[in-house]
Parts: sequence; structure tokens; C-alpha cells
Amino acid sequence: MNAICARNLSKSYDGKSMALKELNLEIPGGGVFGFLGPNGAGKTTTVKLLTGLLSPSGGECSVMGVSPAEDPCGVHRICGVMTESAKMYGQLTGTENLVFFARAAGIQPAECEARANELLKRLDLWDARDKKLSAYSTGMAQRLSFARALVHGPEVLFLDEPTSGLDPESAQSVNEMIAELAGREGTTVFLCTHQLRYAQDLCGSYGIINKGSLLACGSLSELSAGIGCRTRAGFRLADGEKPEGMERKDGWWRTEILREEEMPALLSRMVEAGYHIYEARLIRPALEDVYFSYVERQEARL
Amino acid sequence: MKIVSSAEQAIVKKDFSEVWDTRMARNTLIAVPALLAIVLPVMYLVMIYFLPPGQLNGMDQMMRLFPEELKSFSVRQSMFYLLTNLICPMFFLMIPLMNSTVSAACSFVGEKERGTIETLLLTPLSVKQIFKAKVVGCVLLSALSTAASFVIFAVVISAGDILLKMPFFMNWNWVVLVFLLAPALTVLGVIFMVMVSGKSKSYMESIQTSGYIVLPIVLLFVGQFAGLFQLNAPVLLAFSAGLFALDALLLRLAAHSFTPEKLLK
Ligand SMILES: Nc1ncnc2c1ncn2[C@@H]1O[C@H](COP(=O)(O)OP(=O)(O)OP(=O)(O)O)[C@@H](O)[C@H]1O
Ligand SMILES: [Mg+2]
Repeated sequence: MNAICARNLSKSYDGKSMALKELNLEIPGGGVFGFLGPNGAGKTTTVKLLTGLLSPSGGECSVMGVSPAEDPCGVHRICGVMTESAKMYGQLTGTENLVFFARAAGIQPAECEARANELLKRLDLWDARDKKLSAYSTGMAQRLSFARALVHGPEVLFLDEPTSGLDPESAQSVNEMIAELAGREGTTVFLCTHQLRYAQDLCGSYGIINKGSLLACGSLSELSAGIGCRTRAGFRLADGEKPEGMERKDGWWRTEILREEEMPALLSRMVEAGYHIYEARLIRPALEDVYFSYVERQEARL
Repeated sequence: MKIVSSAEQAIVKKDFSEVWDTRMARNTLIAVPALLAIVLPVMYLVMIYFLPPGQLNGMDQMMRLFPEELKSFSVRQSMFYLLTNLICPMFFLMIPLMNSTVSAACSFVGEKERGTIETLLLTPLSVKQIFKAKVVGCVLLSALSTAASFVIFAVVISAGDILLKMPFFMNWNWVVLVFLLAPALTVLGVIFMVMVSGKSKSYMESIQTSGYIVLPIVLLFVGQFAGLFQLNAPVLLAFSAGLFALDALLLRLAAHSFTPEKLLK
């Protein structure tokens, strides 16, 4: 069974323009799924549909086999959701907020405090635990929201730009936590983000969306293959050597190869041809390149 | 099954603190009852107790409104009777209404305004449970404030009754008013505000809208003074029954329109 599933999922806010057009997704359990797209692409709309905050204009979806449209409470029991618009109570302290949401999630009152403390320590909010949320900085409030999404130990996590307002250290610790949850605990993470470098380290598979349409879905190598972003072989050679059919960039001679398996043969041909090879490596397309290729291709088609 | 689950209790408790921490709501919950149920009666009592009798003669007109059996009252006693049985009952219609609309505005509209309702909707609690817990919280809070002000009011008026050597003020009118009409109005105020909360964008705007619901009470007030009608226990009882029926109807309507889609607009 897929952890998250959407079939022809569509949403229109005003009945005229479609914010989300016939989205089809099948995300297996475990691992981090990166949902990427420019502003206004429909990422937040998708998260809200999958968590039952919006009802779809068409199509259907499910999370762990539970339909958010029919049984939102069932989905909320197994999901932790963090969106920018879901705020917490300004007049309560960090601890009080977490304890409140733990109780609302049905955790035994005796356990709530321990759970809250554990998360506050983990997210570096321990010193601010007795401050009112209204006195928190943006990044602190965001980390508290992250803690809130985790408070009931969810099987599926929906994170809508969890690190957008964080300093590099906090962003790193949040990303580490996401990786750890996905790795050790087998949590499925649905991560919307604009930070492509972090995403590349964190996610196992991706969806790229623009203007409400899903452009591509799969692992980085699948996405690269789909848009024709090839892996390159790169060589650093002795000064003055100019291999035929290769271009030079940043001191490296590069050439596109179809598959990584071609590398050993290419390397031995170069050695046989008498080149002095100081370094050789595979240059895989970065997520950033692949992402821009997809978005630009779609913009060009429109 | 418990009537209110642990999670719902947490919401009720949180709403209490939220309303209490909103300055404007807290002031209303304390100041309005204090003014209407304590300060005004005390001032009035002091005035009629100390004013020389000669100054009270303009009262003849008013006293024509009195029931036959009270014609034996002195001018002072009549004036106090007027306060306890004609003016103050109106205050005890205003207090529950003000309390409930202000706490509901804070709890429903405020939560929407501050973007916390979305987070609440993301908990495993159903929309119906959240609705129930919040309505219960608002009704309890305003009932508490109304009850407290009535107790103090009763002490003040009893003191007046003793000073002026009058019979104890409690009568059937008051019993029906305090135990039936006031609760019915409290519930009405909360539901009214919930229904308004779907439309109004801000907490202040919704408070202003609540003026509409106080208007009929003011009319009632004026009507009674103009001698158009006299409120008595059976009339009040009928009123209460009507209001409870209205409450039940509106409660269903409000619960029906309390959906994530509408709340997050
Ligand atoms: N409440 C709303 N009412 C009307 N239109 C909306 C609403 N929310 C979003 N939209 C529209 O739906 C489209 C998708 O918005 P969405 O918020 O899902 O984008 P996003 O991918 O999350 O963007 P961002 O990266 O800026 O967060 C946009 O065109 C937006 O204008
Ligand atoms: Mg968004």
C-alpha cells in the first residue's frame, strides 16, 4: 500500500482557475518525498487537500489508505502537519503549547509533559520553554511548530517549507531530524521546499509541480533521464593536453555519457591514449539543474 | 462515555485563558457586570437613601405603573422597588448577552484571526468536538461571570431591602430570569457570534455586530418604561421557552456551517 496516494486530484478556489490540475501521486511508505515548485505552484494546496483542510473539486486522495475527505480525524491521528498558516497560541508558553496540542491529540495527560520536554530539548528550545510564544522569534516559532507536528509520533509528516525562516544551524538540525525520522522510524515525509540543495541531500524521490500541474515524479536519476540531463564524465589532465570532443569547464574536461557504466571503458581508453590523468569523476546533474530544466521546458511550451 | 473528553477539556481550559488574556474581553467580563450589577444599584441606593424627601416628588408619574398591592410603599421604597424590579432585570439580560458575545468573539473570531484555528483543525479532534468544546467554554465562562455578578447584586439589593425595611426582593420573575432566561440568552449570544464569525474578518468588527443583538433588549427596556407592557413570570417563562427553542435551532445551523473550508477562508 502507498503511504500517500492521489488520483486526478483537482482544486479550484474560485470555480474558474484551477490551483491544482488532476494530480496523480503514489508515494510509498518510508523516506522523504520532496515536493518542489515555484511560488503559487500548488504545493500548499496539495498539502491542505491531503490533510483534509480543503475538500477537492475533483478526484480523490488517501493517506495510509484513509481518505481525508471522509475521515479527516483518522488522517490527523496518523499525520503530523506543519504549514505556515497553522499558528500556535501566542499567550501560551512553548511548553504549554506543546502540552495543549499533545492533549488535543489524545495523549494521556501524564505523558504530555514528558513528550513536550523531549521535543523542546531536541529542537534547541529548552531555554525558551517558559517564554510566551508571542515573544519567540520567527525561527523559534517555526521550530515549535515542527515540534507540534511531531508531538503525537505521526507515521506520515507533511512539512510545508519547514526550514524557510531558519538560520543555517537550525535548518541543519531540523533537516537532520527529518532524515532521522525517515530513516530510523520509517516515517513517510512529504516535504514542500524551495531549498533545492537541502532537498537533494534529504529526499529519496521528488515531484516537480508548476501552475497546478505535476511535471515529473521520481528519483533524481529518473528525473534527470526524463529531461535529458545527462551524467558527465570529468577529467583533470596535465597542462596542455586537449582530449577530442570534450569541453573544458573550471579546469575539468567534460563529456556527456549515456550511463554511468560507460565510465570504466572511457577511462581506460583515455589512459591508453596516453593522457596524464590526475583526477577522474562522474558529474551527476544537480537537483537544481534538473528542476530548472523542467520548469523552463513547461514555461516554454505555454 | 464522558460528556467532555480530556482533549475537549484541554480546549475549554485553553479558551478560558485565551479570553482572559485578551484585555478587551477581560475588561468587558469584569467591568460591565460590575457597573450594571454593583456600581449603579449602589449609587442609586445611596442617592434615594440620603436625598431629602422633598426632591423625590417627580416620581408620581412613574408610580402609576405600579401594581395595586404596592401602593402602600413610601416614595423611597417605591423608588427602590422600581430599581430592583424594572431596571435591574434589564441589566441581567444585558450582562449574559455582553459576556457571551464578547467571549465567543474572542474564542471563535479571535482564533480565526490569529490563524490558530487551522492548527486546532489539524488535531485528531473532529470539527464537531471542537465546536462543542468551544461553545461549552464560552457558555461556562459567561455564565460564571453572570452568576458571580448576580450573587453580589443580590447582596447589594438585600442590603437595600433591609435598610429600607422592604420585603426580600427575590420573586418568581427573578427566578425565571436568572435560571432560565439568562442561560438561554447566554447560549444565544454565543451562537450568534459563531454565526457572525463566519462573515467578520476581525474580532472588533464582530463585537460591533453584536450591537444588533442588544438592540431588542433596549427596545424591551423602553417599551416597559413607556408602559406598553409589564413583564411577569409567565411572560418571561414563555420568552425563555421560545429562546431555548431558537437556541436549539440555531445551534444546529451553526454546527452545520462550522466546516474547515469556511473557517479557513
Ligand atoms: N485561499 C485561497 N483563495 C484563492 N486562491 C488561492 C488560495 N490559496 C491559494 N490560492 C491560489 O492557488 C494557487 C496555488 O497556491 P499554493 O498556495 O498552493 O502555492 P504554493 O505552491 O504553496 O506556493 P508558495 O511556494 O508561494 O508557498 C495560487 O495561484 C494561489 O493564488
Ligand atoms: Mg505554499
